[in-house]
Amino acid sequence: MTTTQETAERIGALFNEHFSMLDALRTQVEGGMERGADLDALVLGFVQPRLMIEGATVAGAGYIGGPGSSPTPGVGGAKAMHFAWWLGPLAENPLSGTTTEVTRLDLAAREYADYLRDFSSLEWYSVPESTGARHITGPYVDHLCTCDYMLTLTTPVGARGAGIVGLDILVRKIEPQILRLLRAIDGPAALATAGGRIIASTADDWDLGSSLKQFSGCPVPGTTLVVATGENNHSI
Amino acid sequence: MTQSPSTPRGPRSAVFTPLDGATRSLQVARRLTDAILLGVISPGERLPTEAELAQRFGVALVTAREALSEIRRAGLVETRRGRDGGSFVLASSDTPTQVLTARLRGISRIELADVGTYEATLCAGAAERAAELASGEEATRLADWLADADFTTARTAARNQGGFLLELAVISQSPRLVREQIRFQAEFGQLLWLGLGEQAIRHEVYGCNETIVAAISAGDIDLARSTVRRLLKTLTTWLLKTKERLERAA
Repeated sequence: MTTTQETAERIGALFNEHFSMLDALRTQVEGGMERGADLDALVLGFVQPRLMIEGATVAGAGYIGGPGSSPTPGVGGAKAMHFAWWLGPLAENPLSGTTTEVTRLDLAAREYADYLRDFSSLEWYSVPESTGARHITGPYVDHLCTCDYMLTLTTPVGARGAGIVGLDILVRKIEPQILRLLRAIDGPAALATAGGRIIASTADDWDLGSSLKQFSGCPVPGTTLVVATGENNHSI
Repeated sequence: MTQSPSTPRGPRSAVFTPLDGATRSLQVARRLTDAILLGVISPGERLPTEAELAQRFGVALVTAREALSEIRRAGLVETRRGRDGGSFVLASSDTPTQVLTARLRGISRIELADVGTYEATLCAGAAERAAELASGEEATRLADWLADADFTTARTAARNQGGFLLELAVISQSPRLVREQIRFQAEFGQLLWLGLGEQAIRHEVYGCNETIVAAISAGDIDLARSTVRRLLKTLTTWLLKTKERLERAA
């Protein structure tokens, strides 16, 4: 049987593949910023082929500039953020219907989300911005992009305040890969966030959105996630 | 807190999301009417053209044209010809009462009550799950958001009430509840929020929101659920009462 440690390393490798994609995008965006290149075209060129892969785990990706990066000011002259973010093909999405190509995120068509007064205060932006390090947000229901259950990976780009690059992983698409790795462990096991919220679990009584209470687990290298097993967690 | 990131917007995308089903011109007219009543589309503002409306609602040009003549007959808009022409929302002082009367006459008490029942059930379920599942961080974030949310006008209260109930669905962690909440608000939100035009209702609804946030923080499932029901009951009762008053006076 595989040990929890080995499983955690394999899950770490899975997330590292995604972070490597993000690092490549960051390098491109930073290069583009130095050259004064058209960042929108550059980001689209990078994300399009990756979002069009059949069965892709990544549902959306792009670059989001810091407050003031958008040429159009917000309400009352507020510093608006520039979104160069694209979504992969969507099946019967409540917001955009069924799409077969990549589509650009259009916040003007998400006006029900106007109650979110400040995007830069949201976790996927504020954490990497303040720590200067890569970050995983979620799992959470992302209603800005695809209305699905998501893990958002983000990493800061350029000078402080310049923005972030990020990608959205559909939990239901990455779940089979995580479960395959968790099943190598004898007995029930779960992948959870540092706060204990379960991303994927092999337990019979797993409940969507539930968290582990008082748990110990094996850290997933390169992330803040943990692999928790039945041995030390009754609630798995 | 800074303001939202781009041009002034209300819950307008909800107003313009695609429609399906029969009597489409009537549905388009109703949605525009609700938006005008609530101030989401302001007096003096030019409505999208027939072609734009047709495209945004996903209806035929003739359907959009019928909807526009419907709200013109109701005295809500006037059509001006020429280069800067189009359909403009009228600013007449007695328009709101006239239109509200027409709008509430066009929907039966049964339909109004059912709209309230459906939303109450959807939100009570979400609130229950939210109270069960919310992390301390999520509860704090919701409380901070509510503390800064503007409920001083009908328009801002409507936007923020829609946002608050959507946020409950988000905290419930269920993509289906989130999608259904967005769909419901697109179709009936503007109608249901009409009571927020009254300051006393805004005050009561805001108080309910505060109790719901406290219940979610404390993991009090019963209190979260019952307060959501009370909130939706307040808004639905306002609609029923107003319909009764206007129709008796007519």
